[in-house]
Amino acid sequence: MRLRNVLPAVGAFAALLIAGCNHMPGAPRAQELARPEDQLDFTALYKTNCQGCHGVNGKNGAAYDLSNPEFQALIDDENLKMIVTLGMPGCRMPAFSRQAGAMLTDEQIDALVKGMRQAWLKPAAFGNDKPPAYDDDQKGDTAHGQLLYGSHCASCHKDSPQQQVTSPDYLALMSDQALRTIIIAGRPDLGQPDWRNDKPGQPLSGQDVTDIVAYLGSLRNPASNAAAPAAPVR
Amino acid sequence: MRWVKTAYNWLELRLQLEAPIKEAALHPVPRRTASWWYVFGSAAFTLLLLQIVTGILLAIVYAPTAGEAWNSLNVLNHQLELGWFLRAMHGWGSSFMVAVVIVHMMQVFLFGAYKFPRELTWILGVFLLLMTLAMAFTGQVLRFDQDAYWGLGIGASITSRIPIVGGPMVHMLLGGPIIAGATLSRFFALHVFVIPGAMLLFVALHVWMVLKLGVNEWPMPGRIVRRSTYLAEYNKMTHEDGVPFVPVAFWKDAVFSGAILAAVAVCAVVFGPFGPGGQPDPTIIQAVPRPDFFFLWIYAALAYLPPSMETPFILIAPIIGISVLLALPFYASEGEKSWHRRPVAVLMLTTIAVSWGVLTHLASFTPWSPHMDAWSGDPVPVRYLQHATPLVRQGAVVFQEKQCRNCHALDGSGGQRGPALDAVATRMTTDQLIRQVLQGGGNMPAYGKNLSPAEVNALVSFLETLHPANQQPAADASRREVESAQSSLGSAPAK
Repeated sequence: MRLRNVLPAVGAFAALLIAGCNHMPGAPRAQELARPEDQLDFTALYKTNCQGCHGVNGKNGAAYDLSNPEFQALIDDENLKMIVTLGMPGCRMPAFSRQAGAMLTDEQIDALVKGMRQAWLKPAAFGNDKPPAYDDDQKGDTAHGQLLYGSHCASCHKDSPQQQVTSPDYLALMSDQALRTIIIAGRPDLGQPDWRNDKPGQPLSGQDVTDIVAYLGSLRNPASNAAAPAAPVR
Repeated sequence: MRWVKTAYNWLELRLQLEAPIKEAALHPVPRRTASWWYVFGSAAFTLLLLQIVTGILLAIVYAPTAGEAWNSLNVLNHQLELGWFLRAMHGWGSSFMVAVVIVHMMQVFLFGAYKFPRELTWILGVFLLLMTLAMAFTGQVLRFDQDAYWGLGIGASITSRIPIVGGPMVHMLLGGPIIAGATLSRFFALHVFVIPGAMLLFVALHVWMVLKLGVNEWPMPGRIVRRSTYLAEYNKMTHEDGVPFVPVAFWKDAVFSGAILAAVAVCAVVFGPFGPGGQPDPTIIQAVPRPDFFFLWIYAALAYLPPSMETPFILIAPIIGISVLLALPFYASEGEKSWHRRPVAVLMLTTIAVSWGVLTHLASFTPWSPHMDAWSGDPVPVRYLQHATPLVRQGAVVFQEKQCRNCHALDGSGGQRGPALDAVATRMTTDQLIRQVLQGGGNMPAYGKNLSPAEVNALVSFLETLHPANQQPAADASRREVESAQSSLGSAPAK
């Protein structure tokens, strides 16, 4: 090999390298973030803060199915933001905001709420039906709730009373609001129907949901929660 | 072309370099020494040249101040054409250089090349190895990201354990009581002036001795090195059965050096530059610092030592190690060179290499601390929740929210401080699970005061489901006896 044969090859290689330098596998892609609190990308924030409990893409997690469009339609921005900021008293949902001693800034929580809305909120999630209100301060009728539980819930929730939604241990870990949300919006990732389809053809009214929650609440054993740390103040 | 010849003659008349260069290039080496085994030294030298060239180019852009260093590396990575490639070449060049220097040393040891009259060549080589490692460490510090910051912190705390002079030494190293702007200036001076200067001087002497004393002959079993006869024997060997260094041996050096440079370039293109990782700010607690690969073994060794052994190990082991390396050519300056007749040497080398490999491997995956965001980042595997009851599902929520996941892995993700829990139900009965959660034990803290009874029940009912489908969960035989006795008592007919 003469030098004049090699030189063009070397030149061509160098030219290729320079031309394609930003497409080489080793070329650094995303710029390293200066600080973790500057992260405002929904996907990244969800991945590090939420998906441990709520599951990849907001479903099939241990905790509630956030990708349920009916849930997203039921809850308003203010309540969603408040839950992320301060946690949910009576539930395992912890606070994530700096003001409550956790890591996320207000901007990051806004980005999370906005991202959830963009990803999972669908227009007309309820069709022509009007769902019961997200929350209700009324006191429910326990006896009526028990009847409704028998007719609308017990057909699926029937195995092993210690493991069921009626077990005091389970109820000690769920707040009234969490129960209400699940009854209204269902959990499509588990096959739990919404308020219209617990018993097809007989949708529950807002008062019915309040009554069922009151019935479940009456099964709580105050001692189960005795040693629990104080819930964050709302 | 006449003027080239004229110019050359003009220079040669004054410099008179032709004769010594010719002598060095054409000096005879033993025929079997022109082997592929003898190429590592020249490869290390080539890598040193690469590091100098890329280092100078980097120094043009790099700003050695605490506030700007990290930014200037990002400018190199993202804004300058091929800046990332330059950083990658320097970074991979350093990794290759450490590796090649160590291989060179192992080869020299195995071939007995440190014996008379090459003792001083070996001793300078030991210092060159230490300087190469020092360059690697100071280079890692100049990267000034989270790894650099905490690596420096660990370096400083190791230094501080030296009795009496430890404190002042840390002060001198860091340029003050804390890691700050002065620290980076000091390490810049070390990395760019002090160590390379010393290194070039040592390399020059090292190469000078190789040229003057000749390249080590191929070790033959039974050919004994004696001080009285060796020089004459070597002289005879090279003159009766020798070959000129250039080109017979040199072309292999050249080819291998070229291959190493190509390998560095390929690694640089494929794997890219090292870091910089996160910003070097001690207030950012989301950092998982880890040293570069050549120091990983120290990391693992220190982690596995009992705490009481740490200081003695840190202070005594390096001194012993370096002393042994320096004393080696005096202890064994005569005798057999061939590895066929030096079983102890071969065994020692093998043991050290295997230990080094094992420690490095351990360090690359061993959990050093809990994986702090596993609880909020790694979901419970979907298959564990597929047929879960409401209470088990709440148990999984408790499992995540109480951050069990930071120490315990499920399905391979999560922390590794504690055992993985994928099949915990086959190892522990319900009672044992409850006791472990409440009271802790082994390496686990007690959670009794941080969990309500409902949380414990939910958590344990989740843990009880963690067993393979074809394997029964652990059960307490005596408990079954008690339960069956109780039920038979309860149903006994009244008299």
